[in-house]
Amino acid sequence: MTDSNPPDRDDDAADGRTLEPWEVFRREKDGDPMRHGGSVMAPDATLALHYAREMYSRRQESVHLWVVRRSDIHDLADLDLLQPPLDRSFKKPGGYVMRDKLAAAREQSGRAKPKANAG
Amino acid sequence: MDFAGAGDGRERALALLLFSMADDEFVIGFSDSEWTGIGPILEEDVAISSIAQDELGHAQALYRLLADLVADGRDADAIAYDRPPEGYLHARLLDHPRGDWAATIVRRYLYDTADAARLDALADSSYRPLAELVAKIRREERYHLMHMETWLERLARASGEPRDRLLAALAEMGPDAGTVLAPLPGEPALVRHGIVGQPFATIETHWREGVGRTFARLGLPELPPTRDADHARSGHSEAFRALHEEFTMVRRSEVGATW
Repeated sequence: MTDSNPPDRDDDAADGRTLEPWEVFRREKDGDPMRHGGSVMAPDATLALHYAREMYSRRQESVHLWVVRRSDIHDLADLDLLQPPLDRSFKKPGGYVMRDKLAAAREQSGRAKPKANAG
Repeated sequence: MDFAGAGDGRERALALLLFSMADDEFVIGFSDSEWTGIGPILEEDVAISSIAQDELGHAQALYRLLADLVADGRDADAIAYDRPPEGYLHARLLDHPRGDWAATIVRRYLYDTADAARLDALADSSYRPLAELVAKIRREERYHLMHMETWLERLARASGEPRDRLLAALAEMGPDAGTVLAPLPGEPALVRHGIVGQPFATIETHWREGVGRTFARLGLPELPPTRDADHARSGHSEAFRALHEEFTMVRRSEVGATW
């Protein structure tokens, strides 16, 4: 259904007899990034694409679709790793509030805030 | 059939062609829509229902061309619904009932491949409204074909029951497959006026070659020749009469109503 597709894998999960979930990514229009759309159940990549087409583009909602076997996705959802418990706000640019410092510097130099379209 | 508005041989032949195509699409579209809600899995339920709806859309567009051509006051709906069963000109292949999933796949595969061959021969039709419509229909039929080929292959390559059911459906419907491309009464006029690119016999030969290659690859038996080709589009089955009873039921419940 698309220009280049890998061959179906030859392992047990890909014997075409077992329904499994496939994640569907779609591009809504040229220039947009691929975004996750949802998922379909299918026994192989070909039917996963057919079903993705039915669910995510039968009314012309997409210009490009990907399907990815859910079991091929490596995930990380460990909050100890993703949301470290100690305060590290100093790592964020938001830790430095520039607005007040800039205002003080302008006052000191006697200049007004530059106009957006000065010149 | 009543072609009061269709004058010379060309118009009469063209009307017959449009009726045969529109009725093919209408009957298979309605029949396959019976899977809505009872498909093998939810995704396939949506897929087969959407394909069935596409066919009803194609039928509607073709009936509209007919309404313009025949111009006897009937609109597309009247042409679609207000005929007795024997007034429909669909091919005998579509007289077979929906059956099990394998039967549906076989009927659709045989019909879609034959229809694709017919559409190819109409792409440059001298009847411009038809050529323009065919260009749009072919784009949708491409996906139908891909989907049916995928399913035919799945059933053929599975051992045991899926393949057995596929073979049984092929034995049942194979002799009627060629009815979709059986010559129409007005064929010489259609070819002479450039409405159809080739005689139906030529279209059928191309179609049989293509199907033959697929069947050989899948180890399926060769398609038999067409049974009773002279009555390819008449003498409809009990199964079709029951279907007709159903698809005209609501319309008949209040004749002349505005819906």
